[in-house]
Amino acid sequence: MTDDTRGGRAPGWRPLAGASLLERLRVTGCARPAADPAVAAELRALLETGGAEPVAAGAGGHLVVTKERLSRALTCPVHRTVDRFGERSFTLPLACGALVDVLFRQIVTTGTVGDPMADALDGLGVDGHQDELVAWIGDLAPSEAAELRAEVDRQSRGLADRWPTLDPAWLPRTQESMRVLLAGGAVELSARVDLAVGRPAGDRASVALVEVKSGARRPEHRDDGAFYALIESLRSPAPPFAVATYYTRTGEIDVVPVTLDLLVGAARRCLAGMRILAGTTTGPDDAGWCTECARVLPGVAVAPTAGVHPGVESVDPGGAVPAHAAPVVRLPHGRAA
Amino acid sequence: MTSRAGLATAGLLAPPLHEVDADTLARVRAALEAGVADATAGLGHGDVVELGLHQLRRARYRPELLALPDEPFAWKPAFVRRSLGLELVRACATGRFRGPADAVGPVTDQAVEEWRRTGRRSFHWEPWLTGLGRGARAVVHAEAVAWATPLWAAFDWTGLAGVVEFAVPYDTWNCPAARPLRLRGRSEVRVGSPPDRPSLVSVASGCPGDGWRDELAFLALVSALADPGRPAVSRVIGLWPESGYRLVVDVDGTTLAGAVDRVVDAVAVSAAVWSSVEPVAVA
Repeated sequence: MTDDTRGGRAPGWRPLAGASLLERLRVTGCARPAADPAVAAELRALLETGGAEPVAAGAGGHLVVTKERLSRALTCPVHRTVDRFGERSFTLPLACGALVDVLFRQIVTTGTVGDPMADALDGLGVDGHQDELVAWIGDLAPSEAAELRAEVDRQSRGLADRWPTLDPAWLPRTQESMRVLLAGGAVELSARVDLAVGRPAGDRASVALVEVKSGARRPEHRDDGAFYALIESLRSPAPPFAVATYYTRTGEIDVVPVTLDLLVGAARRCLAGMRILAGTTTGPDDAGWCTECARVLPGVAVAPTAGVHPGVESVDPGGAVPAHAAPVVRLPHGRAA
Repeated sequence: MTSRAGLATAGLLAPPLHEVDADTLARVRAALEAGVADATAGLGHGDVVELGLHQLRRARYRPELLALPDEPFAWKPAFVRRSLGLELVRACATGRFRGPADAVGPVTDQAVEEWRRTGRRSFHWEPWLTGLGRGARAVVHAEAVAWATPLWAAFDWTGLAGVVEFAVPYDTWNCPAARPLRLRGRSEVRVGSPPDRPSLVSVASGCPGDGWRDELAFLALVSALADPGRPAVSRVIGLWPESGYRLVVDVDGTTLAGAVDRVVDAVAVSAAVWSSVEPVAVA
């Protein structure tokens, strides 16, 4: 888990910390969106007439749409697995993600961490929901346990050193749950964001949403952020002004200003995923095949814009068959499901 | 404060839209007693139907869960966040803190210190919290802050000084015509002092269901039944922070009658579910 953390960054790059990090989050370079009921109504109409109402008419049940389910539904057909809601298998990256999530919450709330691994396990086990994961961590072989501890310690130190203290007047809250019902409750968009900052919006966007990732930076993380922005826009008077992903492994922060284009794109992606999840369409068309699979599978047109699978860790471009052609889809690296 | 919070606060303090006189309350009570008598006819003498908002919602939306036995109680953060969260909002409303995140450390420290000094548990969770490690305690704090923040941001609490009561005690009413029924209503905040008719604020998780109006009116109904001598509730504001809803019921005879129907339905559903469950032998 402690592989090269430099990625594609320039020599001499240093992660932002403290006030600089906060400034990066606060100042996006774009005007903050105004509250516009018409925009929210159009987004809702796009989702309801295009997806949620057919779901309501066809399935007659209750479809819960989360970022994980969307990602699984929209991945390349080779990599799509049967949607098993809530099912997951434990890995070191997943455990690291869950532990770092707890530590992030602790740092935001109390500003301090003692023994990172002990604190994180303590927090993870307090309500019983993560007992299986806590037990899995407890059963790790000594070498794996040491590897996990070292990475959690390293990321915790980075967080404690860099993450800014948030003014209480900005109303920071962690693990904020967000829900929106569509089509009379037939479809529920649901998310839980690691951190929300800013007084809930009035006339103008005032909230920033931050997701924490302990793994590598991936393009699809922006899709997750856009999904959060979409839900917030539908449940609040104004959209958030920014959605950000903070990478605890490296200290990178990816801040995306929320625009109308972003929200419409998120709604269209959500719509496509809803249709697949509800079974009103079988899946993405050719554009949904990833480049590697399309290259080796007969009769499949290469989609130039597709190339990355949510959750797939590596490819072997030199092989005759994609290294990931076995239908194995992992959860996004380092994320607790 | 945003103008949205200011407007919401003005709504809390606005004069009642409708009169609710003694005759109205008498009719509502008679209808409830008659309806409950029919609905509980199949219940055994030992069965007590206790209905609060939680049971009212469960009977309508998830009746199958009524048959499940209650889990043994064990403290967890979700059970602390409401009482601690309300205390955070109360502390912030005094102007001592700039937000729930600022208040959570001092407020819990004070509660624990008070318990250690006097042995009196104001919140009941003090001993449990004291026994937690640093990480677990941080989760409890974070849950309470997340619960309190939308309530804190929803109203201009400084404009309500002197007329607001947090963590309102249960209103309880035992139905005299049908002994097995007990109604319990609990709202998070009451605004207004006698002789003014108060407003109630109720905070719920998730999304409002189609029966939200009757659910909010239920709180006004139990308040009126529990203490007929005090002014009737003028309105009930429901907050569903996860889904961003803020809904209002202005209380009148019609809304109270809707709550009565909902109670009768819930009692009937509960009786039907329980009568279909095989009794469990207790060793």
